[in-house]
Amino acid sequence: MLLEVTNLDVHYGHAKVIHDLSMHLKEGELVCVVGRNGAGKTTLLKTIGGFIQPSAGSVSFMGESIIGTPLHRVALKGIKYVFQDKRVFGDLTVRENIELAAHPTKENLSDAIKKVVAIHPKMEKLLDSKAKGLSGGERQILLIGRALIGDPKLLLIDEPTEGLAAKIIGEIVDILLEMKGRIPMVVVEQNLFTVSRLADRIYVMREGAFSNEITDAATIKQPHCYEEDL
Amino acid sequence: MLQSILFGLTMGGILYIISIGLSLTFGAMGIVNFAHGLIYAVGAYALYTMLSTVGLPFLAGAVVAVAVSIPLSYVIERFVIRKLYGQSIDYAIIATYAVLLIGVDAIKWIYGPNPLPISDPIGVTVSFLSLEAPLYRLLIILISFFIFIGLSLFFKKSMVGKIVVAGLQDQEAVHSLGIRVEKYFAVVFVMGSALAALGGVLYAPLSTLDPYMGFHILILCFAVVIVGGMGNLTGTALAAFALGMIMSITARYWGAAADAMVYVVMALVLAFRPIEV
Amino acid sequence: MFAKVEKSPVLTLTFIAVGFLIFGYATSLAKITDFIIFCIFVLGFDLVYGHMGQLSFGHMLYYGAGAYGAAMFANFVHPDPFLAMAVGISVGAILALVLGSVVVKTTGACFALLNLALNEVGAFMVLVPFPEWTGGEDGLSLFFSSYGFIDFGDRVFRFYFCLGSLLLVVFLIVLLVRSPYGLLLKAIKENEIRVRFLGYNTYVYKLITFVISGAVAAFAGSLSSINLFYTNPSLMDPTRNVEVIFAALMGGAGNVIGAVIGGTAFMTISNYLASYLIRWEMFLGVALLIFAFRFRKGIWGYARQI
Repeated sequence: MLLEVTNLDVHYGHAKVIHDLSMHLKEGELVCVVGRNGAGKTTLLKTIGGFIQPSAGSVSFMGESIIGTPLHRVALKGIKYVFQDKRVFGDLTVRENIELAAHPTKENLSDAIKKVVAIHPKMEKLLDSKAKGLSGGERQILLIGRALIGDPKLLLIDEPTEGLAAKIIGEIVDILLEMKGRIPMVVVEQNLFTVSRLADRIYVMREGAFSNEITDAATIKQPHCYEEDL
Repeated sequence: MLQSILFGLTMGGILYIISIGLSLTFGAMGIVNFAHGLIYAVGAYALYTMLSTVGLPFLAGAVVAVAVSIPLSYVIERFVIRKLYGQSIDYAIIATYAVLLIGVDAIKWIYGPNPLPISDPIGVTVSFLSLEAPLYRLLIILISFFIFIGLSLFFKKSMVGKIVVAGLQDQEAVHSLGIRVEKYFAVVFVMGSALAALGGVLYAPLSTLDPYMGFHILILCFAVVIVGGMGNLTGTALAAFALGMIMSITARYWGAAADAMVYVVMALVLAFRPIEV
Repeated sequence: MFAKVEKSPVLTLTFIAVGFLIFGYATSLAKITDFIIFCIFVLGFDLVYGHMGQLSFGHMLYYGAGAYGAAMFANFVHPDPFLAMAVGISVGAILALVLGSVVVKTTGACFALLNLALNEVGAFMVLVPFPEWTGGEDGLSLFFSSYGFIDFGDRVFRFYFCLGSLLLVVFLIVLLVRSPYGLLLKAIKENEIRVRFLGYNTYVYKLITFVISGAVAAFAGSLSSINLFYTNPSLMDPTRNVEVIFAALMGGAGNVIGAVIGGTAFMTISNYLASYLIRWEMFLGVALLIFAFRFRKGIWGYARQI
């Protein structure tokens, strides 16, 4: 098993945000986590990513526990995180954003740039513009591209289509579908239509725990079947 | 008037050189570093020792004085600043102030409480138009200008610089790329400290050394950092020269009020542009 | 055991009064009077630091404002000590209201440094521009009128008057902290934004706290003018802010007993130890580091758990 989360508890101060949650991810699988705002989806993703330390339970990645591992080490193990609010480094150019991601992975810059341009050719022209000038869609493409540098073993993607226009959402979903199978992913997503196109398996999250797990491919294709679970 | 402009530019240059480190620690780590004033004083006093006791020429003395500040600032970073990451700002202020107090007393212990002079190492004045300009002051302005260019290049071109620029904006995101950003901040901290020591070295011949010199210059530099915006390098440079000018123009009419004027400007800036830290 | 003292205002006041009476008669009343005045200052400072959660690096300004307000009134208008005190407190409160209206909008580092900058300006104002009024570097020597047994020339009277003042301030702050307003202040310290979302105008509450704090600090300042019979720029010296910060931290911030213990402990160290310790500032620095890193709850924070 690539990723195994067992009996996870996470607290923010006195508030328990996640309780007794278990999940797993197989090699090559794409799992979507759906649920309402405040259900604890982002907290779960950030706990796996090493941003937040759980108060109980275990997270193991490729058979090794990653609890207590500093954030940068988790990243170096190959778990890459794509932020929700399209957090690029605005004061740097697109090229420098890529360079920064390539630096710790020892991947050379031109290969890294090729990877990013390969997912969307329009990045080629934007290489020397400041990242703060990019549109939402372009930022998302840069973030996903940046995460691909250094051959990640697992991508954690938080709300990749949030706040984007329908046409751009289509492009992003195509990008993720193209990556699917090669790179395992955990995607937090609110848009159930997007989920139905992407997911191999769905976890429905409610008040800090999974209320349902959908594994049947036919059911996944029909969002109305699990819409009321939320 | 030309004289005032020259003095303002000199003061601005000195303030700029000292403020960079302060601005970076402020912006990057959210730490108000009072110990920065100590490094400034150490630079000046180390220069004094090199000149008067060891008998080195000025340039060599200056190099040694700046070099002395590097291990000292590393120790401060390692044992005080690094322990304050992510902690309440109050403790950062108190702890770094404590370091300043200890250092000031150590200086008093070694050098005594009385002011010490260092003379102008060049002693040449150049005159053009109505202006009698000490060459040394012109040199300071030139040096600060080169430092500005050098730092701009450093933050634009070098990997360390780029990581720090990104870290100033979003530390967590840099971390999540697999970069231990604190390590780079530490490098920049030591660099900023070395510049503070250089500021002490350069300013020493224009003033006198006293154990509390670090405290006084530090409040001026805080004003620079706050007016220029924390972690904003261009803003810091502009604010340093603007406040340097304000000081020298105020001093032209009312010498004693020069410092107070800076604080008034700082208070006005803070009042109308509060920054949440 | 100690927690009980904190819970009952009567016990708190008795504890403080008995403590100072014993300390005063065992050592020297004149010296302990200084201690008591400093404790009042710490109490004022701690309203903003411990109770409101903002570190001011410039409260000497309000202390000095009280000292100079009282001294200048006594020197130029009327030597009545009570009027002088009232003027001193008013000067501090008005100054805190005017400056506070801007200062409390900031938080954290800006709050600390803005206060420090204003303190620098204040120190400049009493030192340089109006020497004929403030006495410049020398300050002012003072004389106060006396009425029967109310004689500030008598050190025993001064001791009891200051002790009474301290108890009054402690009592008022205890009332304040236990009122709904005090609870709100505590909530602001923990999470100001949340309190604002609940519909409270936190700015007004913070400003009120700042003004009370300034007034209490000014009260201490005017008492020190009266106690010393002089005023000089060291009463507004910005580098002395560390004293009150250290005292609040050492005693235990956000607690009246903590403030009094911290004030007393600091004065004891600085009066008795400083004469044996040549490297007094170094000692102070090391002690500050230890408290800032290891004993953040302060003396009382640990004692109350016993």
